[in-house]
Parts: sequence; structure tokens; C-alpha cells
Amino acid sequence: MKDVKLKLTRKKTLSEGVLEFEFFSDEKLPQMHCGQFLHLRVGGEFLLRRPFCLYKYGERSVTLIVAVVGGGTKRMSEMKEGEEVMAVLPIGNGFTLEDEHKKILLLGGGVGCAPLVSVPLTYPNKEYVSYIGFSTANAVMFEDEFSKFGSVTVCTDDGSTGRKGYVTDVLREDIEKIKPDVILTCGNTPMLKAAARLSAETKIPAYMSGETRMGCGVGACLVCACAVKEKNGTIVHKRACVDGPVFKLEDVLL
Amino acid sequence: MTDMERTPDTSVEICGVKFKNPIITASGTFGFGKEYAEFYDINRLGGICTKGITKERREGNPSPRIAETPMGMLNSVGLQNPGIDGFIKEDVPFLNSLDTVVIANVAGKTEEDYCYTVLKASSLDCVKMVELNISCPNVKAGGMAFGVLPESVEKITSAVKKHCRKPLIVKLSPNVANIADNARAAENGGADCLSLINTVGGMAIDWKKRKPILANVCGGLSGPAIKPIALKMVYEACKAVKIPIIGMGGIMSSDDVMEFLVAGASAVQIGSANIFDPVAGLNLINELTNLMKKCNINNVREITGSLVI
Repeated sequence: MKDVKLKLTRKKTLSEGVLEFEFFSDEKLPQMHCGQFLHLRVGGEFLLRRPFCLYKYGERSVTLIVAVVGGGTKRMSEMKEGEEVMAVLPIGNGFTLEDEHKKILLLGGGVGCAPLVSVPLTYPNKEYVSYIGFSTANAVMFEDEFSKFGSVTVCTDDGSTGRKGYVTDVLREDIEKIKPDVILTCGNTPMLKAAARLSAETKIPAYMSGETRMGCGVGACLVCACAVKEKNGTIVHKRACVDGPVFKLEDVLL
Repeated sequence: MTDMERTPDTSVEICGVKFKNPIITASGTFGFGKEYAEFYDINRLGGICTKGITKERREGNPSPRIAETPMGMLNSVGLQNPGIDGFIKEDVPFLNSLDTVVIANVAGKTEEDYCYTVLKASSLDCVKMVELNISCPNVKAGGMAFGVLPESVEKITSAVKKHCRKPLIVKLSPNVANIADNARAAENGGADCLSLINTVGGMAIDWKKRKPILANVCGGLSGPAIKPIALKMVYEACKAVKIPIIGMGGIMSSDDVMEFLVAGASAVQIGSANIFDPVAGLNLINELTNLMKKCNINNVREITGSLVI
């Protein structure tokens, strides 16, 4: 983890209320890994930093996907190209794939697709199948990104494009055919709950990247507590920032 | 040497304990130090005050535990900690390796809990002072229950004092009728030092959902929003007692540090600033030294209590 200065070099709108930010750093950035995040000082009247997952990254660059949901992200959406911000990065455990994980199912909902895009960049020699869900056709993003690594199934709640229905329901119909070794997922809580049921029924292990309100982002303040079941059944509070943000889906009390 | 070249003396001494500078990190915002050691040499700090330690391990409150509010933040962590035995096993080895003053913050549910944990914590070599947390607003039993009425402040202080092998700091709550009465009560109970203020009770609501933002409904407000409240209470407490005072509440800059010292504090604690910026502690130490040079202040101790009314 390091507190680094980043300069906004490019900002573009992906869909309504969702923006892509590309930042550059003069100094070489620490090694980053898929599923990790950064903690960014958005400035203005906001004192607490905001956590964003790493969407794409390089030696001197990092790209984020930001959904404008509150004051802090609204302030970010008003940032101008050339503006500088401080960010602690990289934070958290990220996604880890083992040798026995040969066929990977990436399951994303809305902006929750963002942390999954870099998984194939970190682990290029795997087979990837992606299922991504959105509310409606206008909200669909990242299809091109996922199609670089394998087949992509787009689902919309209203059926305006792709297959109609919740992405987890569509996946349920297909999963016997796909037979993935592991599911990596990120999305809203109802989607994660549905994914947890699917994982339990099919016995396919699943890992999720979670989101919670965060304080220090470095593991000290304990405000980002995530209730997780230990092997012996006891429930403990883990820190989403440094113990996560990736947890085994079946262990998390959603 | 010209004045600009001279390195000002930032050291302070409280109850016989020497601090390199008056910057101490506040309980609950700095863990047990390990996490911040990745960002800077934490031995540069005057001191570290640990996360609140209780007799048994505690899981704390449900999430969300934090909400941003204008110029501040609300938290309701609820004293999540590994318990005194977990602390000794997991964190003391690291604290033993440090060259800065370690203050153990102790909380409890009952008087017996407090006495037990204070005895164990104050017996550790690395612990140079104990801070009694009777002002946590986020736990049902204990915490602030001991810290509101002056009678109970005096009672718990005198009970704990008998078991404390190091100088005892009593951390006062601002959520009280008269801070001077509580400061005197702690002094009468045998406190060697006071620290104030803990967080101010507060609440945040998401009106569209008709729900509180914090899972625990209410929490403790900290950050620059509470600085004027803290300064007033430090000023009033200093007038009421003879023992030294460590001031805190919304300190973000070296000017803020100076304001607390002028109001009467011998040192300060930095809380939310650590959460906003992981290198806040180091930056404040450097800023303070530069500010002293700029203002021709050779000795930080001469600032304490220099307020002119």
C-alpha cells in the first residue's frame, strides 16, 4: 500500500451515471492484482476517501469505473482532466485462482462487472465464460471487454437486449452445460444472494468482491466490518478493506 | 545559528512520561499501529494510543458503522477488539519493538472488567500509560454509562486507580451536563491526567429510505465539525483541574494543534485525521516543527495554557 499522486488524464461516460476515469502517475505504481481496490481522496468538502475497485491498471496508470450514487461520487464526476488526487493503492486481497481452476465463470451485475474485467489480464491462461446483467439495454456496459477473453452472455431485466431476466436466473439455466470450476462475482446484494444459492446447489465454489462503507481503508479503524462465518461456524467481523474485499461467497452473511 | 536554522524543542513530559512531540494518535483510529507503519516511521510520533481493549474479545456492532457528515464523520464500531489476551499475543510483540510512547486504551462492561484489564495492560513493559475509556457512545453496557455522572466518573476512576501500575489518563465524554464537574470528579478519583473529548453523540438519516445510515442507529461524531466544542471543553477542564490534559477533537493542521495547546492542553491526540489521510500524523509533526520555526517558538511547552482572555 502506498499513498500516491494520480493525475486524471481521461474521463468518459459509459452509461447514465457511470463514468470511466483513467489516471496516470509520474512514479511507477506498486504491483497491482485483479480484485484489489484503491482509496481515493475525492476532495471538495469530502474528508473520507472513497474506495473504487481497480478496473484496469498498468505500471503508471490505473482506470476506475465510478457510479454516481452520492455526494462523493458526484464530486468525482465533476473532476477535470489534469486534476490531481491522492490515492492509497493497491488495497485488499483480490481474486486468487488456483491451478485446478481451469474454467472460470465471471458473473457481474451492473457496475459490479468492473472488478472482473482485470481477472483475465492477471490470469491469461484460463478459459473464461462471462454472464453480465443490467437493468435495460441503455445500461449495458463492458460487453466488448469480456468478449476479448471468451463468450459473453448479456442479460437485461426488461429483455430490451440480450436474454431477458436476472443474470443469475439465466445462468441457472445454463450452468450444467458450462460446468465452471469456480465462479467469481460482484454485484448488488440480491444478485449475490442468488449467486450464493446457485453455488450451494451446484457445489461450484464462488468468490465475491464486496462493497461496504469504508473508513481508513488500511485496516486500522474497523468500520468496514463484514460478517463472515469461520470454519467452526462462529461468526466474526472481518475487515472488508484488508481481509477482503474478496471473500468466499458461502462464508459471507449477506 | 540563526533562528531559522535552530530545531525547535517539540518534546513534552506528562506524568513523568517523555514524548518526542505532542502528537499522539487517538484510540480507535490507529489500530495497534501496525497498519500505519507501512506508510511512515511511526516512531516519529509522540505516542500511540491503542484501540479500546476489553477483558473479552468483542465483535462490535453491525455494519454500516460509518457515515460522512458535513466536515466530520459518525462511527459506531462498538469496541471491536481482540480482548486483552488477544492483544498481548497478537499486538504486544510489535508494540515492544517501537520507540514511541504506547498508551493502552481500556474499556469494560463492569467495574471488575475495567480493573482486571487495567491491571493486565498496565503490567506490560511496552505500555507507558493507560487511558480509561468511560466515554464510548457506541456500546450499551459500560463505556459511557460510567462517564456521564460525575459520581460514577469518580467511582470508576478510584476503583481502577488501585489496579493501575502506570499513570492513569481518564478520557472524558463531551455528552455531559458540565465538563468541569466531570474533570474534577476524575481528578478526585485519582486520575493522573485527562484526555478529551471523545466523540459527540450524533445521527445520520437517509430520509428517502426512512432509515438511519448507521446500523446501530446513532454513533459518535468526530472530525473538524467538533473542534470548537472540543476547544471549549479543554479550556473549561483546564481551569477546573491541576492535572495535565491531552486535548483532541477535529485536529487536522498544526494550527489546530497550537489552538489546543493554547487552550491548556499539554499534548494532543489525532483521530479522524488518520482515517482521512494515512500519513496525517507524520505531516502534522513536520508542519508543527516548521510552524514553530516560522513563529520563533523554541519550546512547545511554553505554548500550553498561554491563552489571554
